[in-house]
Amino acid sequence: MQILKYILKRILQSIPLLIIVSLISFFIIRLSPVDPLAELRLNPSVSQETLQKETERLGLDKPIIVQYGKWAKSFIKGDLGITSNGEKVSTKLKERIPNTLLLTSIVILLTWLTGVPLGIAAALNWKMPFDRILTVLTSIGMAIPSFFFAVLLLIFAVKTGWFPIGGLTSSDFLEKSLFGQVLDITHHLVLPVTVLYTLSLAGLQRQMRANMLDVLDSDYVKFARAKGLSEFEIIYKHALRNAVNPMITLLGFEFAGLLSGAALTEYVFQYPGLGRLILEAVMRSDINLVMASLMMGAIMLILGNLIADILLIITDPRIRRSNV
Amino acid sequence: MKRAGYVVLVIVLVALLCSSCLHIDKPESVMTDVKKEVQQDFGDYPAQKNVTIDGEDFLQSQAPIGRFGGSLVASTIGEGPKTFNPFNSKDNISSLLSEVMYDGLLTTQPVTGEPIPKLAKSFSVNGREYIVKLRHGVKWSDGKPITADDVVFTWQNIIFDGFGNTSTRDSVVIDGKLPIVREIDDYTVQFVTPKPFAPFVRMLSTPIAPKHVFEPAVKKGREYFDTFLSTNTPPEQFVTSGAFRLKEYVPAQRVVFERNPNYYVINKADQKLPYLDKLVYLIVGDINNEVLKFEGGELDIIGLQGANVARFKELEKHSNFKVYNLGPSTGTMFLSMNLNNRRNDKGKFNVLPKKQKWFQDKNFRQAVDYAIDRDNMVFNIANGLAEPLFTAESLNSIFLNKDLPSYEKNIAKSKELLKKSGFYTDKKGRLYDEEGNRVEFDLYTNAGNTEREAIGVMVKQDLEDLGMKVNFKPIEFNTLVNKLVNTYDWDMVIMGLTGSPLEPNGGKNVWMSDGTLHMFNQRPAGYKKDDRLDWEKRIDDLYVQGALATDFKDRKKFYDEYQKIAYEEKPFIYIYSPLMISAMRTKFKNVYPSMLGGLTHNIEEIYIEK
Repeated sequence: MQILKYILKRILQSIPLLIIVSLISFFIIRLSPVDPLAELRLNPSVSQETLQKETERLGLDKPIIVQYGKWAKSFIKGDLGITSNGEKVSTKLKERIPNTLLLTSIVILLTWLTGVPLGIAAALNWKMPFDRILTVLTSIGMAIPSFFFAVLLLIFAVKTGWFPIGGLTSSDFLEKSLFGQVLDITHHLVLPVTVLYTLSLAGLQRQMRANMLDVLDSDYVKFARAKGLSEFEIIYKHALRNAVNPMITLLGFEFAGLLSGAALTEYVFQYPGLGRLILEAVMRSDINLVMASLMMGAIMLILGNLIADILLIITDPRIRRSNV
Repeated sequence: MKRAGYVVLVIVLVALLCSSCLHIDKPESVMTDVKKEVQQDFGDYPAQKNVTIDGEDFLQSQAPIGRFGGSLVASTIGEGPKTFNPFNSKDNISSLLSEVMYDGLLTTQPVTGEPIPKLAKSFSVNGREYIVKLRHGVKWSDGKPITADDVVFTWQNIIFDGFGNTSTRDSVVIDGKLPIVREIDDYTVQFVTPKPFAPFVRMLSTPIAPKHVFEPAVKKGREYFDTFLSTNTPPEQFVTSGAFRLKEYVPAQRVVFERNPNYYVINKADQKLPYLDKLVYLIVGDINNEVLKFEGGELDIIGLQGANVARFKELEKHSNFKVYNLGPSTGTMFLSMNLNNRRNDKGKFNVLPKKQKWFQDKNFRQAVDYAIDRDNMVFNIANGLAEPLFTAESLNSIFLNKDLPSYEKNIAKSKELLKKSGFYTDKKGRLYDEEGNRVEFDLYTNAGNTEREAIGVMVKQDLEDLGMKVNFKPIEFNTLVNKLVNTYDWDMVIMGLTGSPLEPNGGKNVWMSDGTLHMFNQRPAGYKKDDRLDWEKRIDDLYVQGALATDFKDRKKFYDEYQKIAYEEKPFIYIYSPLMISAMRTKFKNVYPSMLGGLTHNIEEIYIEK
C-alpha cells in the first residue's frame, strides 16, 4: 500500500515537469529560424495558392501560443497529430519503435550480461594483469567516437563484403524462409550492435569495478574477513549486494536510452530506427513528430527513474526505512 | 633518452601521414576523358512502334530481344516517399516512384524531346483542340480495361476539381479559365483550351488514374483524398498502368516494385515486357552511404558527384560497371543583383538608394559579369565536371538559344564599362561611384551548401579585382529565402533554381514581372503600379506570346528573344551547369543513355545479360 502511494506521488510530481519540458521544447523549435516551407517557396512550379494552403494546414499562420495550445489539447487526448507530410505521427513511430527496441535491447542485454561480471572480476583481480588489460581495452572503447567507429566498420564491410552495408533487411527478405529471415536480420545487426556494445560495455564495466572496489575496501567487509567468513560468502553475499545498488540507478537511465540512445549509430548504418526519423524531423522542423519524440524521451526518463527507485526500495532496506 | 625516442617516433609517423595526404593525384586527364564521352552514346535509341495484334494496340520495342528475370536496384536519397498517390506528391521522390506505376497519355522522346504517345495510341493538336486516341485492349494491372472514362475522370474530377497537389491545375489555368475535357467515344478524348496554349501538350504526360479505384476516394472529399494511397496502403490495393506495380514498401529501407503482367509494351518476339522481375529503390540517408552501397555491390546504378567521378573512372577499368556522362543538368546556378527600387511598408527603401543606382545600371551588371572567371570555377569547384553557362535556359533545353556566344573573363572590358558609367578608382585601387560613394555591398548565399559557398569566395575575389568591396555572408537557407521572397533587403545573392529542358513556360514565375520568384525585381503580391522596366515588359510579352503560339519554330523565336534580353541585361549572371554523371553495372543491356531521360528512361526494355 505504502509503495503504491509513493508511486502515485511520484507520478503526480512528474506532471508539472512534463508541462515545462513540453513548453520549452515547443517554443525553442518554433522560434528557431527553420521554415518548413522554404523548399516549396523556392520551387518555380509551386503557386502562391498552394503555399497559402500549406501554411494554413500546418497552422503556421497562428501565434505560437495558440499553436502550443492546440498541440497540448490533442496530446492530452492521446492524439499525436500529423507530420508535415500529412501522415499520422503515431503510425510513423509505430513503424520505427520495434526496430530501435530490437537494437537497443540486444545491446543492453549483452552489456549487462558481460559488463557486470567483468567489472566484478576486474575488482577482484585489482592491479593484476587481467585488470590492467581490461582497463586498457575499456579506455579504448570509451575513447572512440561512436560515429567514427561505425564508419570504420562500414568501410570494413565494403572491403571484405562479409557484412551488408547498413539497413536491417535485404531486398529479397520477403522470399526467405522464417529461419532465413532471422539469419538475415542477425547478419544486419552485427555491426551496429558491435559499435554500441563496445561503447556502453566500457562505461558499465568501469562503473561496476569502481563500486566493487569501494565496497571491498569498507569496514564491514574487513570485519567479515576478520570474522572468518569464506571469501565466496563475503563477496557474493555481502559485497556484491551493496555494490549493485548504484548500478540499479544506472539501469533507470539505460531504460530511458532504450528509445533514444542510438541516433548517431543508426544514422551511419542507415538503420530504420527512431533516431534517424527524429533527426530528419528536426532538420525539417516537423513539430508534431519532434514533440512526440521529445515527450516520449521525457516520459521514458521519468519512468526509468521511477522503476530504479522502486527496485532500490526492494533491494535496499535502508532506503525502505527512511523513505516509506 | 627513452622519451626522446618516443617523440622522434611520433614525429616520423605524423610526417609519414602528412606526406601521404600531401600527395596530389592529377585527375584532370580523367576529367576530360569523361567529358569527351558526352556525345558518344546518344541518338541511337530505336524508337518504339505501335502494332496491333488481334485488335489489341501494343507498343512494340525495337531494341534487341533480351532475357526475362532479375532485378535492378536503384536508390533514392532522403527519407523516402511520402505518398504513392501521383496526384498528391509534392516532392521529387514521391513523384518518381508514383510515375513508375502510372503511365501518362504522352511521354517525352528521350533524344529529341518531342511529346510522343505512350498510354495513348496517337494524338493530334489543332489550335486549341487536342484529340487523344487510346489503345484498344490495354488493361489496368487488375485486368479492367483502360478507357476514355478513366482519362476524363482523371482530368475533370481529380485535377480540375482541385484534389491533391493543385500545381498541374494551376499551370493550365488560362485567364482564369480551365480547359474542357470531353469523351468522344470509349477510346477518344478531346481537350479544348480556352486559348491556344502550347505548354498544355506537356501536361498530357500527367498520370492517368483508374476510375474504379479513385472514384470512391474522390467522393469522400479532399481531406480523405490527401491520405488516399499513402505509404501505409497495402500494396495489393494499387491498380496501375505502368511497367511495374508496388510489391513492398519498408519504411526507411526500400520500395520494391514487381512487373505488371498486363503492361502494353511488347518486344520484337511479341512477348510482354518488362524484362525485369523487380525494380528496387533503396532509401539511403546520404550520398556517402549510397557510394558505399554501390561499391559493396548492393546498388546497380548511382548518380556521381565531384571527386567520386575521378575515383569511379579509375575503378571502372577493373570493375563491372561503366561510367556515363549524361550531359549538363537542368539546374542553373547564378549570381543576381537586387534591382528593387521600391519602399517597404515602413517607408524605407528595400535597397539603399546609392546601391540602387549601381544595380540598375546595365554597365555595372555587365562589368560584374565580365569580371567573373567561370572557367576557374568549373575547374576548381566542380572538379572540371561542369559547363560554363551564359543563358537563361539550361544547356540541355530544346529551346536553348545557340546564337549567344560564351566568353572568358575580361577585366579590361569590365573596367571600361565601369568608366563609362562614371565609376573611378583611387590610388589604392578602390572603386567609387560618380558621387564618391565607395562601392561596397553584401553577397549572400545559403550556408551549408559548400558548392555555393565556394562560388561566393571566388566571386568575391573576382569582384575585388575591380576594386569593389564584397562582404560575403553565407546565411541560413530559410533566412535567405525570406529575404528573397518577403523582405527584399539584399544586395547580391548566389542561388540556384531547377528548370525544365522541355518547357520554358515553367519559368514564368521567375521571369514574368508579377511572378512569385521574380526575385531580381520582386513585387509584393497584389502590386498594382506598373513600374516595369522596358525589358521586363518585353519579357512579359514574350512569355505570353510564347505560351499562345503552338508551333515549335514560332515559339522558339519568342524564347530566343527572351534569352537574348536576359543575356544582355544580366538580371541573373549564370555561372555553370554541373554535368550529370552516372554509373551502372555492365550486366544490364539495352541501356540507351540520353540527356533528357537518363539511363533508365526505357526501363521496360532493360534486361540482364546472362
